[in-house]
Amino acid sequence: MNIFRRELRAYRRGLIIWSVCLFLLVVSGMSKYSAYSAGGASSEVFDALPQTMKALLGFGSFDVTQISGYFAMLFLYIELTVAIHAVLLGSGIIAKEERDKTVEFLIVKPVSRGTILTAKLLAALVQAILLNLVTLVSSLVMVSAYNQGEAITEEILQFMASLLLVQLIFLSLGTVLSALLKRPKTSGSIATGVLLGCFVISKITDLTDQLNALNVLTPFKYFSYARIVNGEGLHAGITALSLLLVAGLVVFTYAAYRKRELNV
Amino acid sequence: MSVIELRNLTKRYGKARGISDVNLQVEEGEIFGFIGPNGAGKSTTIRTLLGLISPTSGSATLFGKSCTTHPEIRKELGYLPSEVFYYDGMRVMDLLQYSASFYKKDCTKRIQELAERMDLDLKKKIDDLSFGNKKKVGIVQGLLHEPKLILLDEPTSGLDPLMQQTFFELIAEENRKGATVFFSSHILSEVQKMCSRVAFIKEGRIIKQEKMSDLQDNNYKKVSLEAKSAIDPAALDLDGVSNLELKGTSASFIFKGSLNAMLQRITAFQLTNISIVEPDLEEIFLHYYVKED
Repeated sequence: MNIFRRELRAYRRGLIIWSVCLFLLVVSGMSKYSAYSAGGASSEVFDALPQTMKALLGFGSFDVTQISGYFAMLFLYIELTVAIHAVLLGSGIIAKEERDKTVEFLIVKPVSRGTILTAKLLAALVQAILLNLVTLVSSLVMVSAYNQGEAITEEILQFMASLLLVQLIFLSLGTVLSALLKRPKTSGSIATGVLLGCFVISKITDLTDQLNALNVLTPFKYFSYARIVNGEGLHAGITALSLLLVAGLVVFTYAAYRKRELNV
Repeated sequence: MSVIELRNLTKRYGKARGISDVNLQVEEGEIFGFIGPNGAGKSTTIRTLLGLISPTSGSATLFGKSCTTHPEIRKELGYLPSEVFYYDGMRVMDLLQYSASFYKKDCTKRIQELAERMDLDLKKKIDDLSFGNKKKVGIVQGLLHEPKLILLDEPTSGLDPLMQQTFFELIAEENRKGATVFFSSHILSEVQKMCSRVAFIKEGRIIKQEKMSDLQDNNYKKVSLEAKSAIDPAALDLDGVSNLELKGTSASFIFKGSLNAMLQRITAFQLTNISIVEPDLEEIFLHYYVKED
């Protein structure tokens, strides 16, 4: 419990900054919606864009002149940002003790490495959920401010549920990487590198249908946002598989961290 | 049951040397010194013992149990690392209370007491403290839960002589109350003052374990000679002679062994001067650490 509290306190300022950034991202993103939804010429311009261009801009097959399609496009940027937070948090909770050389303080306390890890993972989970809630509330408020059509509250909730799963995947990916990588100073940048790799893959598979098999490598593609926009919700099987992946990564983290040679 | 027991403890870093076949027993109530130059493997030994790194082979136990499988035994352990690092932005008191929170007892009074003795300001931010003051935080942190085993890795670096004095008094008090003390150092005089037994480590191996009293009182003599004519080195080629320095008609060496045998050899010279004195630990130390060419 003391480690859990200590972790939350140590990350408090960081979490506030991330929350503010996320809020501003949603605000600035939604404020452009009126330009997209103004109808007339702009709609035709979007239609005329080649598919590749649309894919790169994140429109994909969404109708960005509709609020749900527009939010789906904006969501990709939100998702990328929140995923970066998650992967950095995951790698940070393990790496920072060694990087800041506080590990020699912590590990000689009468607690097992497993207990330490559990406290840290729970604290990270709380932070991921808080950031998700900030995103949810900002989205609900900003969307309702600009939406002139039907409310899309349910879709937003589904987007955030998928976001939480993606957060958990990247969080646990970050912890595994930190537990495995020998040098704690590099684990943050390697974790971010892996995340950006995933993002690039997701963009490549947007461009062509022939590489869809690659989607399995990128959590950004696990959930079909077209499904959510079309009102079909999250795919139960994929959700279960994602949770299973998170569980697997967490178990792997415990195993690796128990055996880890701590750098001091 | 020994408080600390190392059996054939070996740690290799790839091909690089860590420690090999370290055997050590520290008994309850002892003050045990662990001496070696920088890089000899002192910290590696301690870190393996504490479970920060795992041994390549052999075993290390505290109170008969391994730290990795029984982390709870560390509640009886107070540890002062050679370099002290703490969490950013914490005040001294926050850190000490965080440390105390692991031990399920109220340490507030003890913290106040120790801080007063060590002249440490509890309200300051740790980041603002000097190296020596950080070390004091480390000392208080290591002692606040009144551990049965105190493990100190080069404890006095950064402390001024007065503070070192206070520190040694504190350690001696804890020892009188029953705490076992294990303490690594490359400074001999402080070990000489405190310890009842010492182990010397060199290039990852324990080369000697001895009672401090034996080390100082009996065995070693420093012999200096002056003779009328040049001293033949062959005459001093005798078991127990080390650190032999020959300069024409004068010679000096450290001797451990049969005094009669040595004296018989010496009487062969036409002596003009002789002194046989207790060497200080520094000289014994050098005797162990002079690298054989």
